[in-house]
Amino acid sequence: MRKMAAVVALSLLGLAACAGNESSPAVPGAAKPAGDDLLSKAPVADAAAILPGSTMEKIKKRGELIVGGSLDAPLLSQQNPVSGQVEGFDADMGKALAKYIIGEPKVKIVNSASETREALLGNGTVDVVFQTYTITPERAKQVAFAGPYYTSGLSIAVKKGTAGIAGPEDLNGKKVIAGANTPAIPAIKKVAPQAEIVTFASDPEAMQALKQDRGVAYVQDETLLAANAQKDPSIEVVGNPFTQDPYGIGLKHGDEQFKTFVNDWLKKMQDAGVWQQAWKNSLGTVVKGEAPTPPQIGSVPGS
Amino acid sequence: MSVLLEHLPELWQGLLVTFQLIAASFALAAVLGVVVTAMRVSPVPVLRALGTAYVETFQNLPLLVLLVLAFFGLPEIGIKASALVTAIVVIGVYQAAYVAEALRSGVNSVGQGQGEAARALGLTFTQSLRLVILPQALRTVVQPLGNVFIALTMNTALAGAISVVDLTAVANRVNLVEAQPIAIFVGAGLAYAAVAAVVGFATTRLERRLVMVR
Repeated sequence: MRKMAAVVALSLLGLAACAGNESSPAVPGAAKPAGDDLLSKAPVADAAAILPGSTMEKIKKRGELIVGGSLDAPLLSQQNPVSGQVEGFDADMGKALAKYIIGEPKVKIVNSASETREALLGNGTVDVVFQTYTITPERAKQVAFAGPYYTSGLSIAVKKGTAGIAGPEDLNGKKVIAGANTPAIPAIKKVAPQAEIVTFASDPEAMQALKQDRGVAYVQDETLLAANAQKDPSIEVVGNPFTQDPYGIGLKHGDEQFKTFVNDWLKKMQDAGVWQQAWKNSLGTVVKGEAPTPPQIGSVPGS
Repeated sequence: MSVLLEHLPELWQGLLVTFQLIAASFALAAVLGVVVTAMRVSPVPVLRALGTAYVETFQNLPLLVLLVLAFFGLPEIGIKASALVTAIVVIGVYQAAYVAEALRSGVNSVGQGQGEAARALGLTFTQSLRLVILPQALRTVVQPLGNVFIALTMNTALAGAISVVDLTAVANRVNLVEAQPIAIFVGAGLAYAAVAAVVGFATTRLERRLVMVR
């Protein structure tokens, strides 16, 4: 019994240690050199831009930006089990925004989920959300969106040698795997209303399900599928992306001042080439070619 | 509120799946629970040990772990069932440990003299359990069994993790489109609360009718 208590205590300590690492105080040498390099190039706001009484000033005083995000999204926002650092495109963008406001890339990532994002922003638990947050008019009634900062699309992956699936229409009447709480669910319903959708919480689970024939196809973000197909030769991606998902930066609804501020920052990031570098360090490691042209800020209904 | 009405057909479908999960897994849990209790109070040491091992194993492992292990792990050794069947069996097996503990406390509340009298009359172990001990034991544990039932109801929400589209999973999907978590999850929560309230009411009535004055 006492031994068990010791084990429990130890694992709790371990958890606490992990939790402590989430706020990354940018210890020199602790982060990946690429990340450091990226953040050293990231812009810092003029003192005049931090208006008194604004959300930005509140964050600066706190000395830490609280970001709602994932810890398990490969290439976007994933906690490195070795270093404890959260790495990826969304994570880097969050750190860069923190540097812009505070002067240092100090972020605390609150693990949010699609069912809690609106509430977390609404009650002020998090300052911003970087979490493949697709801008939609419905969501824009609950939260404000800066950006879009990235446009992605959904693709279809199948086991190699699967016949009869060349595009989204072919999914009709078939069992299709999707990530729970991803835009894939409504997207599949739209293009293939007769498809039976089975959902799993995480990408590795969905991949396992595909390999165990729990469904014939797996619909997910193209970059994620590209990364999966690269790691696992038994899987292949068919056709081109069939949707356009503009990702926005979630902010508290009605905070126009902060939204303008974040949009200005995004513009500076793109002009300085930091956005492109962040893409190359993360998504660019699995997608061939140069960084894409960033989407026009404010170009989507709801942003 | 209007979100709930707009998506009523989907939510209803999810609720039906939840009902299936509850009914089938509780039936399994009840049968297994009685068997495990019988093992735990039997005069055979090996059976007693097996019963104890069963209860300790399933009470001490999180249900989510069991679900994911069974769904993704068993196919690796050639046992593959649909998500719904997997969920029913796993939840049933898991809750059986709790049913068994509730029943055992009931068995312990039956006076020792009852068992001794039954054996003295020449009843076998099974007969004395079936005809003398369990009927009395069950009466005293109506309320705890109701609690196990309610816990099982809430636990069915985990089935979504292995792709069963139950009420919680449907609520998640609706929210994904509508982005109104409070209305949607309060609505789904009320449905669970209604099930729990009905069970609570029924067990109280049942207990009053079955109560034994000693």
